[in-house]
Amino acid sequence: MTDRWFKIGLLVAPAFLITLVGGMAITLMWGASSSFQQAGWGFYTQLTWDPVHHVYGGGVFILGSVVTTLLALFLAIPIALAIGLFTGYYFTTGPIAVMSQWVLDLLASVPSVIFGFWGLMVMVPAVRHFEMLLGVAPYGVGLFSGAVVLATMMIPLTASLIRESVATVSLELKEGALALGATPLEVVRHIVWPISLPGIGSAIMLGFGRAIGETMAVTMVVGNANHLPTHLFDPTNTIASLIASEFGETSDPVVVAHLIHLGLILLVLSLAAGMLGRYIIRKQS
Amino acid sequence: MMSVPTTFRVIDLRVSIGTDAIIRGISMDFFANTVTSIMGPSGCGKTTFIRCMNRLHELVPSIQVSGDIVLFNQNIFSVNPMLIRRQVGMVFQRPNPFPTMSIFENVVAGYRLNGIRLAKSESAQIVETSLLKAGLWHEVKDSLHRKGAFLSGGQQQRLCIARALAMDPSVLLLDEPTSALDPKSTSHIEDLIAELKESVSIIMVTHNIGQASRVSDYTAFFLAGELIEYGTTQKLFTVPDDPRTEEYLSRKFG
Amino acid sequence: MHSTMGTDAQLSRRVWQDRLFKLILVGVALGVVLLLTTIIGFVIKQGVSVINWSFFTQLPQPPGARYSGILNAILGTLMLTALASILSIPVGMWCGVAMAEHPLHPLVKWAQVSVDGIQSIPSILFGIMAYLWVVVPMGQFSAVAGAVALSMIMLPIVIRAVEEAVRRVPTTMREASLALGVSPFRTTIKVVIPCALNGILTGSLLGVSRISGETAPLLFTAFGSPFLVLSMFQPVQSMPILIYNYATSPYADWQQIGWGASLVLILFCFVLSVGTRWVFKR
Repeated sequence: MTDRWFKIGLLVAPAFLITLVGGMAITLMWGASSSFQQAGWGFYTQLTWDPVHHVYGGGVFILGSVVTTLLALFLAIPIALAIGLFTGYYFTTGPIAVMSQWVLDLLASVPSVIFGFWGLMVMVPAVRHFEMLLGVAPYGVGLFSGAVVLATMMIPLTASLIRESVATVSLELKEGALALGATPLEVVRHIVWPISLPGIGSAIMLGFGRAIGETMAVTMVVGNANHLPTHLFDPTNTIASLIASEFGETSDPVVVAHLIHLGLILLVLSLAAGMLGRYIIRKQS
Repeated sequence: MMSVPTTFRVIDLRVSIGTDAIIRGISMDFFANTVTSIMGPSGCGKTTFIRCMNRLHELVPSIQVSGDIVLFNQNIFSVNPMLIRRQVGMVFQRPNPFPTMSIFENVVAGYRLNGIRLAKSESAQIVETSLLKAGLWHEVKDSLHRKGAFLSGGQQQRLCIARALAMDPSVLLLDEPTSALDPKSTSHIEDLIAELKESVSIIMVTHNIGQASRVSDYTAFFLAGELIEYGTTQKLFTVPDDPRTEEYLSRKFG
Repeated sequence: MHSTMGTDAQLSRRVWQDRLFKLILVGVALGVVLLLTTIIGFVIKQGVSVINWSFFTQLPQPPGARYSGILNAILGTLMLTALASILSIPVGMWCGVAMAEHPLHPLVKWAQVSVDGIQSIPSILFGIMAYLWVVVPMGQFSAVAGAVALSMIMLPIVIRAVEEAVRRVPTTMREASLALGVSPFRTTIKVVIPCALNGILTGSLLGVSRISGETAPLLFTAFGSPFLVLSMFQPVQSMPILIYNYATSPYADWQQIGWGASLVLILFCFVLSVGTRWVFKR
């Protein structure tokens, strides 16, 4: 008799989880409701965020988040690919493999705020120097700094995922190619690369999903300027940074609703990227 | 055959998974204080059969069973399976002592897991008796409170036998108990089986014909889910009635 | 044979290309190692100068004061992670066991999707949820609110670890227990879960390591405080929040303290995440 109750009791758990997620979504939507009513569809395209004149447009931040993340991806992907191949194909065992695993794990366990601290103290002055050489306004903070810090943080996760994808290409295929006289590079180009391509695509998607929600490090180096960047080194802002800096500060309930609304958009973007990433992997198998 | 008391009585047992018929109507009686071997080629249903006898077959989700299995005048399908399992012990193909428990704790695991509290002296007694019966006592009596990872395969299997014996079952089911062991451990356990039948009835599945002939009093031959022949080991192995039995035996021996 | 290998010139070109490629890969890997070394090295160099006994035992002081410490932040982080663990570990175990024992049940399949979903949510949004659920009704910031936010981040990590650990327990263990006449309920509680304990513990510690570095969800829940707070219904300071505040402040000595706190935090996270995986590798 207890066994039936045990099974029922256990199955309450997944029901609870599903309810929890539902509750999360409802909470956010309810929190953003006055923003929906007030702003309408224009919210997404309105490019001005001006608290003084009560003009609240989300466009800057949506674009800011997307552009910063894409730029970070652009910087991080080649490096993550290289490391993924390095650890997934060339050096899968031995001391070099162990050491690279340690390095990646260490990098992955560093909290975001410390990356931001380092970025602010070390990278931003360097970028400022560089900007002066270029003749651009030497803020130091801006789109580029944000993207670089974000890229650094993305590398461990993306590289690990790529490594997994590369490492699961079957040994027989690789050996078959080598037995035909191919060099390791050719094995990579003709066998490993095409086969692990979906996995790599998925890794990039998942990296995008994680990176777009990254808050602290980006907040500290992106400049917190509520306008679209006009050039690579221009200060700008992202959704997560805006929420981080404004949410606790503002007392205007409409602004709070707008911030939650932006949070929802961020959520949709992350979830979509995550689902796309998992879908790609599932389609492959 | 008729004068010896029966333990299990199987009546027209039919088992299928989905549309595959695994056992197609088997009826047979098992006798007290005997060792009965069930042999046959792989896929003949012998493992499914033996797992029906303590209702472990129910772990397979889509399995369908009809027919009766009667243990000491009680239909095992009409009571809580746990009650059956306390009277019928099982030893598995690969030794599976519980890794988080010491040797001592493993032997009395059946009690502990069932929430039965034993006095210290009582459990010590049970542990010693069971390990003696399983022929393992002298090898482990000084390390009872260590975990069993250092035991060899044969010793681990004897530990599992002790664990089953500790519950004082009337029948012991052995599912290919030596197939994962080396020849020396195998012969140890075969000797053990011969001794154990004094106190417990044994039903054993084996694919090793030599073992069946060495150890069992009665032997049954299964083929494709059917009982082809069942009789004393001596008769089955020397003058089998059914030509299929003869063919199986000669192929295995020849 | 000779014709299939091409000319000697082609062959040497291919070999040369292969070597170059490998060199590039090694270069990139070294570059990343270098990057990591500079970051960690910088943190160590800046942070070590501040670390002393009073660092761990004193409360934060205004800039320029002599003996300033991060005691309240350390205790705050410990309190928050403990509270978050109390919330997420039991629930995580409950869900993980359910999902491992009944993988085909439709509720469980939807729950899997839910767990994936929770894992993809940016952490700052959990701060918003905890704000709406706890801070607003309570009327003030509190450690509880922070713990609620952190527990939601930790929950999927624990669930996945428990599920994996339970699934890894060999079926034969379960069968051995059932064959002794033990009920499925007891089999799960007394055999399966103890066997899975290793994995459960590792997962929980990894979860703790992850949340102890989280800042965003605490910004408007636990909020931070200059005081030593022992009540969970008050705003409380934490390591990441302290680092954030001090890093973005204009005072050099506060920044120094920020580096010290960063060093302590990195060591803590690293030891937890790598250490547990190494210790439990058996």
